[in-house]
Amino acid sequence: MKSLAIAFKDLTHSFRSTFAIIFMFGVPLMVTGLFYLMFGSLSADESGFNLPPTKVVIVNLDAGDPQAGQLGQIMVAALQSEDFASLMDISLSPDSASARQLVDTQQAGVAVIIPADFSTSFTDSQSATRLELYSDPTLTIGPGIVRSIISQFTDQFSGIKITVALALKQAESGQIEYAQIESIIADYMAASQASADPQSLIESVTPTAAPQQNFMLTLIGPIMAGMLIFYAFYTGVNTAMTILKESEDGTLSHLFTTPTSQTEILGGKWIAVGLTVLVQVVTLLLVSRLIFQIEWGALPVVALVALAIVCSASAFGVFICSWLKNTRQGGLIFGGVLTVTGMVGMMDVFTGSPGDPRFGFWPLITPQGWASRGLLASMNGAAVSQVLPYVLALVAMSIIFFIIGVLRFQKRYA
Amino acid sequence: MQPALHVHNLHKTFRNGHNLKAVDGVSFDIFPGEIFSLLGPNGAGKTTTISMLSALLRPDLPSDGASEIAILGHSLQHEPRAAKALLGVVPQDIALYEDLSARENLTFWGKMYGLRGAALVQRVDEVLELIGLTERAKDRIGKYSGGMKRRVNIGVALLHRPKVIYMDEPTVGIDPQSRRSILDGVMALKHQGMTVLYTTHYMEEAQELSDRIAIMDHGKLIASGTHAELIQLVGQKARLILTVNVPTDHILQDWQAVPGVFSVVAADDTLTLLVDDTNRVLPQLFEIAASRGVRITSVDIQEPDLESVFLHLTGRALRDA
Repeated sequence: MKSLAIAFKDLTHSFRSTFAIIFMFGVPLMVTGLFYLMFGSLSADESGFNLPPTKVVIVNLDAGDPQAGQLGQIMVAALQSEDFASLMDISLSPDSASARQLVDTQQAGVAVIIPADFSTSFTDSQSATRLELYSDPTLTIGPGIVRSIISQFTDQFSGIKITVALALKQAESGQIEYAQIESIIADYMAASQASADPQSLIESVTPTAAPQQNFMLTLIGPIMAGMLIFYAFYTGVNTAMTILKESEDGTLSHLFTTPTSQTEILGGKWIAVGLTVLVQVVTLLLVSRLIFQIEWGALPVVALVALAIVCSASAFGVFICSWLKNTRQGGLIFGGVLTVTGMVGMMDVFTGSPGDPRFGFWPLITPQGWASRGLLASMNGAAVSQVLPYVLALVAMSIIFFIIGVLRFQKRYA
Repeated sequence: MQPALHVHNLHKTFRNGHNLKAVDGVSFDIFPGEIFSLLGPNGAGKTTTISMLSALLRPDLPSDGASEIAILGHSLQHEPRAAKALLGVVPQDIALYEDLSARENLTFWGKMYGLRGAALVQRVDEVLELIGLTERAKDRIGKYSGGMKRRVNIGVALLHRPKVIYMDEPTVGIDPQSRRSILDGVMALKHQGMTVLYTTHYMEEAQELSDRIAIMDHGKLIASGTHAELIQLVGQKARLILTVNVPTDHILQDWQAVPGVFSVVAADDTLTLLVDDTNRVLPQLFEIAASRGVRITSVDIQEPDLESVFLHLTGRALRDA
């Protein structure tokens, strides 16, 4: 009972401290929030990069050809198809001057001008023509996409032209009958008409690899996980330091004058450390789920990993503080040990490559590394059996840290 | 009669490179209902003694036998929980949680003394009333004045109605009004039958409060007894406090040689002399001063008191020791 009274008193102390509240909850959520604001606008529907359609104005001056037909019209129809609607917003203009004017006044991003001899040039192997793309120089991505789509068409038309020229040459050399040319051209035209179908040019592939590939889990999720772990360990050390503060304030000595055993007093302090970190971790998991929609994984899995993080952060705090003489050394600890172990343990997260095997075993020399791997595994849908190695490693580390820390404190206050 | 506090043969040496012997063979008994003061200058070993009596420091094992601390027959070494349950400690420094209110502090400390439930709530109310802070019970300790903190510090030690209470220099650094309030409070505790061990370096406090006084210096008890018994140690010797217009070393040795002067302590421009007959000694002091060209600017004659006792026993003034 006395241990619980001490723990409750310490919890009250922790949660009345504005400084502690800011570092326990404010900073990790704020840092993640900054990343969310920086990158969140790129993922409105969480399905990836989202570019607004480029406004394209088309001027079709093609006069057609008795043999090739209306190739210009075919191209316009293809560009106006629904398949390109998400990439291009097409409108038509009767003349090239008006189209250029629209681009110059930034009412359109690109003007596509199909020349009058566009179809004819395909039946005359010696002639050439040019399709004009007049684009807004301030735009980069949109005109590039339009150019790429137009190129697909012109490549196909060029293929037809080459086929016709080749068939004529073969007939002249007697390799084929002139009578066959018409059917060859008809076959090729049929084939090219079919291949002019935009769906055959561009295949839109939807990722099938599941929700974990979405933006939140690939960027914001790991950052929040890193922040949660880093500040859980910070809280572990900071809360454990209350025993040093009490020692300096004289309240610890006063406690030892009461009919309360050393085990009850120190036990109460350790319970307080564990409860404070537990409240912090659970709060951060829930609040980040609500604010950033982060999927932490299946409840039993994330609960298991969270408990392991709480144990290791608390035990690490007790261990670190057992080596401190006074709270003045706390600054060095926060600045040194926690930063170094945190950065080493989560170097893959902080370099934007969570779980990257190139970092080798180095992250795993720290408890933060195991915690990070476990939490990321949970986020990626791991089962209990898959996170168990991380959990067991954290528990083993916790036991070692806790025993060493407690023995050192008991010796100090014996 | 069984002593409320039995202390026998306490020793403590701090081995920090100097082997400082802070407490050297201290023994005394305090009987129920007594106020017993440990009087001595700063560094005399009072707080170290209190720390051992509170189980915060472990006494050294003496070479000349065992040491012992017992509270109403309960050995502090062998029955710490039972002994501490009878004990209330008012530490020298404020030992409270600044971010908790006075009520929250008292409630927490009450739990540490084993109080629970309605009894705890009632006792906290009583103590708040006793220390005169009921109106400000909800305010955080951090907002209190030094004197108010001292009162809460004392209130904590009274929560469980201890049989014995230690008060380690409880009036250090507070205003005269709070000091008066604390001294009255200590007398009230005595009237309630509580046994008080009070440490101070203020002679007046020891003189006013104590049934018995022990004078401590360099870790040893150099005298103990009632105020009257201690005064008898100096007989009829009076203290002369003279101020001169030149550095005191001009005249120190000459005055020491005057018949009837037992000791001379110099500090700045003031000399304190312990003399047996003021009327006979004083003219000789003036005569020597005149012959040396030293002008005496003030003379204060004091009847024998604890300061005289300390001067008599140690050759030093209590305040400047």
